Amino acid sequence: MKKFPCPVKALGLVKRKTHLFTPLFFLTLLLVSKAIASESPAEISSSTQWFNPLRINVFIILILFFTFVLYFIQRAKKGASLFVRRIAGLDAIEEAVGRATEMGKPILYISGIEDMDNLQTVASMIILGNVAEMVAAYDVPLLVPVCLPFVVTVAEESVKQGYAKAGRPEAYNRNNVRYLTSEQFAYAAGVNGIMLREKPAANFMFGSFYAESLLMAETGLSTGAIQVAGTANIHQLPFFVVACDYTLIGEELFAASAYLSREPKLLGSLKASDLAKFLTMIILLVGVILETLGVTKLTSWFFVQ
Amino acid sequence: MSFYEQMMNLDRRWVYLIIGIVVVITAIVPFDVPLYVTPEVQSVYDFVESLNSGDILMIGVDYAPEAMAELHPMMYAITRQAFKRDVKLLLCCLHQNGPGMVEQVISQVSKEYNKVNGMDYVYLGYKPYPAITILAMGQNFRIPFPEDYYGTPLDSLTMMRSITNYDNVRAILNISAGSSTEYWINYANGRYNALLAIGVTGVMTSDYYPFLQSRQIFGLIGGMKGAAEYEYLAEKDGYISKKKDQLSAYKSMPIQTTTHVVVILFIVIGNIGYFMSKKKNS
Amino acid sequence: MGTEEIIWNAIAVFLTICIFTFLYKDNPFYKFAEHLVVGVSAGYFAVILYYNGFVPKLIVPLRHGEWIYIIPAILGLMIWARFSRKWSWISRFSLAFYIGSGTGFAIALYMQNYVIRQLSSTMLPVGFTSWQLFSNILIIIGVLSALIYFFFSKEHTGLFGRTAKVGIWTLMIGFGAGFGLTVMGRVSLLAERVIFLREYLLELKYYLYLLFKHGLSL
Repeated sequence: MKKFPCPVKALGLVKRKTHLFTPLFFLTLLLVSKAIASESPAEISSSTQWFNPLRINVFIILILFFTFVLYFIQRAKKGASLFVRRIAGLDAIEEAVGRATEMGKPILYISGIEDMDNLQTVASMIILGNVAEMVAAYDVPLLVPVCLPFVVTVAEESVKQGYAKAGRPEAYNRNNVRYLTSEQFAYAAGVNGIMLREKPAANFMFGSFYAESLLMAETGLSTGAIQVAGTANIHQLPFFVVACDYTLIGEELFAASAYLSREPKLLGSLKASDLAKFLTMIILLVGVILETLGVTKLTSWFFVQ
Repeated sequence: MSFYEQMMNLDRRWVYLIIGIVVVITAIVPFDVPLYVTPEVQSVYDFVESLNSGDILMIGVDYAPEAMAELHPMMYAITRQAFKRDVKLLLCCLHQNGPGMVEQVISQVSKEYNKVNGMDYVYLGYKPYPAITILAMGQNFRIPFPEDYYGTPLDSLTMMRSITNYDNVRAILNISAGSSTEYWINYANGRYNALLAIGVTGVMTSDYYPFLQSRQIFGLIGGMKGAAEYEYLAEKDGYISKKKDQLSAYKSMPIQTTTHVVVILFIVIGNIGYFMSKKKNS
Repeated sequence: MGTEEIIWNAIAVFLTICIFTFLYKDNPFYKFAEHLVVGVSAGYFAVILYYNGFVPKLIVPLRHGEWIYIIPAILGLMIWARFSRKWSWISRFSLAFYIGSGTGFAIALYMQNYVIRQLSSTMLPVGFTSWQLFSNILIIIGVLSALIYFFFSKEHTGLFGRTAKVGIWTLMIGFGAGFGLTVMGRVSLLAERVIFLREYLLELKYYLYLLFKHGLSL
């Protein structure tokens, strides 16, 4: 693949390969140009500035976070072993697939109602691929009703690849991945209909859901299926928690997709966010201790004016 | 099936029927419920009270008819309070099904207080893509809205002569049922340091308490209860009148109370059934 | 209420009851009302978008000779290629521009508003001498334990695992609060509809009374 010439190298600023620094260069350029467009606070007379010094803390933290992300992605690309703990909901998926095999009933996979530009749908497609690989080995029908036309093509591809990875490409049935409707409640009604007619042994709901989440989860509960759900939409989590056997909460959905796919960008981002969380906890603890002692310097530094 | 299992497996239609009966009876035979005002609603009210005649308050109205029940009452109460205090209003809508909501409120309330469009209030209208619109308004309202809702160029409106961007409004009140509140917090407050308070549906309320705690918003009116609190305050100071039937959220509070009691009873019944049948099975 | 309002509100009452029939069972009346609302809102949105977005942001500038708006118009047209299997790759350029610019605006502000500001406001003094100081302890414990729950680089065992359990309890309490507020929101919608039905029946009763008293001159 043709590589774009590195501007930093082209400028003669750095002599060796600087794949890590090229994105940083553009990022710095982006941030500085963004700062050019930013207004100064209301109480100071308005004039366009090259850099907003009041937001230096945001700038430093962003650069730090981006460095973490790029570093871990590089490590993941080089094949370093990056540990991610097993998420409980993923064990439930295997259990559900096993149960469906015993009962001879299909598995239903619902990928949410958002399009492929939503990260949750992307994560859902990755999990779908892995579920398809599991299901292919046991010869259980996998039903995938989809809400949006573009997602159908991605879902078909994910399922096909899953079956191919399991060595059962001939078992893939294209008719099982079907487009229902793009309307929210009409889609929920369609899925409910499938649940009541086909009576799947397991329902998997991973992706972005809104008000239709409880409609589908409740119907699935009434059919006696084992249900595993995951979403980052906080409003819908309570409904999934009460109606499903296992729920992947928020970031666990993305962690599950990183865990299953071992894709370097996903793994690297996850590890970077873990490091950021760790530092956040340390800073928070230190800040609380200092605040209790009456020292406000750290809090002031983090304060955004 | 044992009694406890029956409790757990109660047909949901019985629940719907009982709640329906409770709501209908309470609607026919209303009663007063005591209401206490929460600090987050009081701070919004106090802020509007502190405005002087001629000050400009911006209201971002981002909801559609499905959220009318919770948000229309607070919209009416705030508008009446502002107009009674001769505060000028700058309104915009960032929800595609919402322009009619603003039009309904502003046309009705402006007649009550003899307020003139272009002098006492300006309704900018609707523009898609809330994030981009909010960012652009921070530069100049004329960038996304060269004309108002009625097609009049902004520069020809008397009120708009002294207004360029958020710096010229005292605060922004965002009344919303969708994700646009996030954009108001991130862009209007985060980027342009505009003072911001929000009125949201009950479903969204819990999401925004962290922003209240961090003072990114100075007030939060949550759902119909928040609207009822605001109406209670406004009625106490004479901005709205019970006799003119202007307290629509407040009069729904008895229904909320009785229905919540019934829901709690069902939750208790269901949990007793769950734990007792679990104990029995073990 | 005049005759027109009585008729329009009668339609609203009919559609409300059609939706309520779903509580018993799915039926054609519910399907009719659902399809009507979906169709009307989609059509309304299309018209609103055209007159408030497309016309002022594309047609009017082009009419005034601002030809630079051709570029976003072409980018917008390229998205339509998504519907073709063969040409869907063309839409990636527009999506890249849209997602890239949106992300560029959002990243710094989301970090500022969702992380840094929240972090600085969570650095609270703690103690046991007042209720505020004690509640700050609860906030800190909740935040830290929830962060530990979402830490994926270590197994949830030992003290770490027990703290993560506190985290999940904190999350569940939060979900419970959200659930309760959602119930309140849904009951509000039901209450408003029932009050609407009640007031319509009262208005209809009064209207029919006047109709019979004064004849059809209303």
